[in-house]
Amino acid sequence: MFRKVLIANRGEIAVRLIRGCHELGIKAVAIYSEADAESVHVRASDEAVCVGPASSAQSYLNIDAIIGAAQSVNAEAIHPGYGFLAENAAFARAVSDAGLTFIGPSAEAMELMGSKTSARRVAVDSGVPIVPGTVDALTSFAEARETAEKFGYPVMLKAAAGGGGKGMRLVTSSDELRSAFETAQTEAAAAFGDSALYLEKAVERPRHIEIQVFGDKHGNVVHLGERECSIQRRHQKVIEECPSPINDPDLRRRMGEAAVKIGQTVNYTGAGTIEFLLSDATREFYFLEMNTRLQVEHPVTELVTGFDLVREQFRVAAGEPLSFTQDDVRWVGHAIECRIYAEDPANNFFPSPGTITYLREPAGPGIRIDSGVSNFSEVSIHYDPMIAKLAVWGRTRQEAIERLRRALDEYQVTGITTTIPFFREVADDEEFIAGKLDTGFIARFNDRRTVVEPPQVDVDLAIIAAAIHHSRHQQPVFVQAGAQASDGRWKMAGRMASLRTWKRQT
Amino acid sequence: MKLKAIINDQEHDLTVNTDGGRVQAEIDGRVYDIELREPEPGSYLFVREAEVHECRVNQAPEGFGVSLHGRNYAVAIVDPKRLRSGPDAHGHHHGHAEITAPMPGKVVKVQIEVGATVEKGSGVVVVEAMKMQNEMKSPRAGVVVSINVKPGDTVNAGDVLAVVE
Repeated sequence: MFRKVLIANRGEIAVRLIRGCHELGIKAVAIYSEADAESVHVRASDEAVCVGPASSAQSYLNIDAIIGAAQSVNAEAIHPGYGFLAENAAFARAVSDAGLTFIGPSAEAMELMGSKTSARRVAVDSGVPIVPGTVDALTSFAEARETAEKFGYPVMLKAAAGGGGKGMRLVTSSDELRSAFETAQTEAAAAFGDSALYLEKAVERPRHIEIQVFGDKHGNVVHLGERECSIQRRHQKVIEECPSPINDPDLRRRMGEAAVKIGQTVNYTGAGTIEFLLSDATREFYFLEMNTRLQVEHPVTELVTGFDLVREQFRVAAGEPLSFTQDDVRWVGHAIECRIYAEDPANNFFPSPGTITYLREPAGPGIRIDSGVSNFSEVSIHYDPMIAKLAVWGRTRQEAIERLRRALDEYQVTGITTTIPFFREVADDEEFIAGKLDTGFIARFNDRRTVVEPPQVDVDLAIIAAAIHHSRHQQPVFVQAGAQASDGRWKMAGRMASLRTWKRQT
Repeated sequence: MKLKAIINDQEHDLTVNTDGGRVQAEIDGRVYDIELREPEPGSYLFVREAEVHECRVNQAPEGFGVSLHGRNYAVAIVDPKRLRSGPDAHGHHHGHAEITAPMPGKVVKVQIEVGATVEKGSGVVVVEAMKMQNEMKSPRAGVVVSINVKPGDTVNAGDVLAVVE
């Protein structure tokens, strides 16, 4: 096993990986940008190296600086986490060329599955169905228009190099195509340095279900079942579950086998996820893409299967075989994860950067928090607005939902607007409780919410508390002098917006 | 202590007196006499007829953010004895609409020219922040009378990007 590993990431995933290192007796080296010098992942690490200024292009995406950092502290391996360089084959190669171990799949497998177009070809070669669409990247707008006409609207435009919803647009009619094509291209170029797009027929009311796979360097590929990730905003997941509320063991077996086949075709090693679209009506599934890394939502699989995916990643990267076989995988109970974003759900999930003035996280039975922030953390505009993940486990989905409500009630974050109150409403929603999920869930949920005023007593107590606070502190005490003067209006607007509260479904 | 509180654009008359472990308050004629504890800075724990209500108060540049029972309230407190002219946060602009940046970011694209006619909901400027591209849309139909930014510009929250009349 490794003695020292560099974690090429920040935030909650860096903390998660550092925890994995410490359980295995590995020294964990953090990297950080100048903006992150006091951040939680640095404080959790054993050693830390600054790799550049706040802008991620100059720090967390700076391959030379990161490899230089690893060499300067004699780390033996680099774990990329998710996002940033996790699916960058050039980075994986540079790590190997520097004589270090990249904790992830081979650069070849990453290249094959990283481009969505070649990944679709791998799926076809593995006998796994794909959504009708272009196999190669579109060469022009004219081709996009022709293809869209051929499949019929609605269609999806996607970044060939992409993931995480960046560079992705749903186009419902021909007059939206040009603007969507151009925005998706710009976004893809900015996010992945590659503006290539491809086009797919959009599946109506699809569920987004993914299969966790794991391979080692001894030819073993297994799957750890599915995660339901249908609740999305801007094509990014916000709530994930294991198992899917469909909970169909036969479907799991068929999807698992399809996923393992794809893994075998590309000699996959380490943790990977095969994403599928599932038609709720027909139970047909289509290969969507593969993520060649640990997923954000891996905790729900860990809670239900009991396996520690990060620990297995370290084992596999060190050349050891997987610690379990397919027959060892059992699914016990139900887990649900909510991604806590610094975003305002009342304002189209717009980012809400700022300073966390108070943080109290839930605890107790069945609760798991993976957090990248603490009291007084600055949620910066430079990075992704996800600040933490709340995952709950229960013996049944019902018990998990009850725990989720209780945990969200306990969760307190002030200073920024978060998605916590939104999740609390979703946890009471009838369709959510019934497990009627598809990727249009949030849009329909927003339509059926109704505004109610909070109880008069609550409003009055809030006013009284503010007045007492006013009399105790004529000068700001929690907000440092001068901090965030520029986004005062935004904060105020966010708070005003969050006053519009909504009736819970009972 | 006589104060005014502004919440949800509405002004309320307010009297608050704290005395040991109690607070006496009156808001628009509603009278409260409640137990008060302050377990940690910024935390106000009220016990009213055995019901527990814990308020977290967070000082914001233009007032207070108060969280209670999972809801957030924006409250501004005005002390009439220290009257000052507050910022007119709710100024109405009749006849024209300003498209403002809701948060700091970078302009990646200007989609329209001065003099162009726009529909309500037409994209005007694309701003990137936190890795997301966000299309700022016109809040009304009209004619673009000014565009104050160009691609590459860094903008702050509240900056006026364009004006539609």
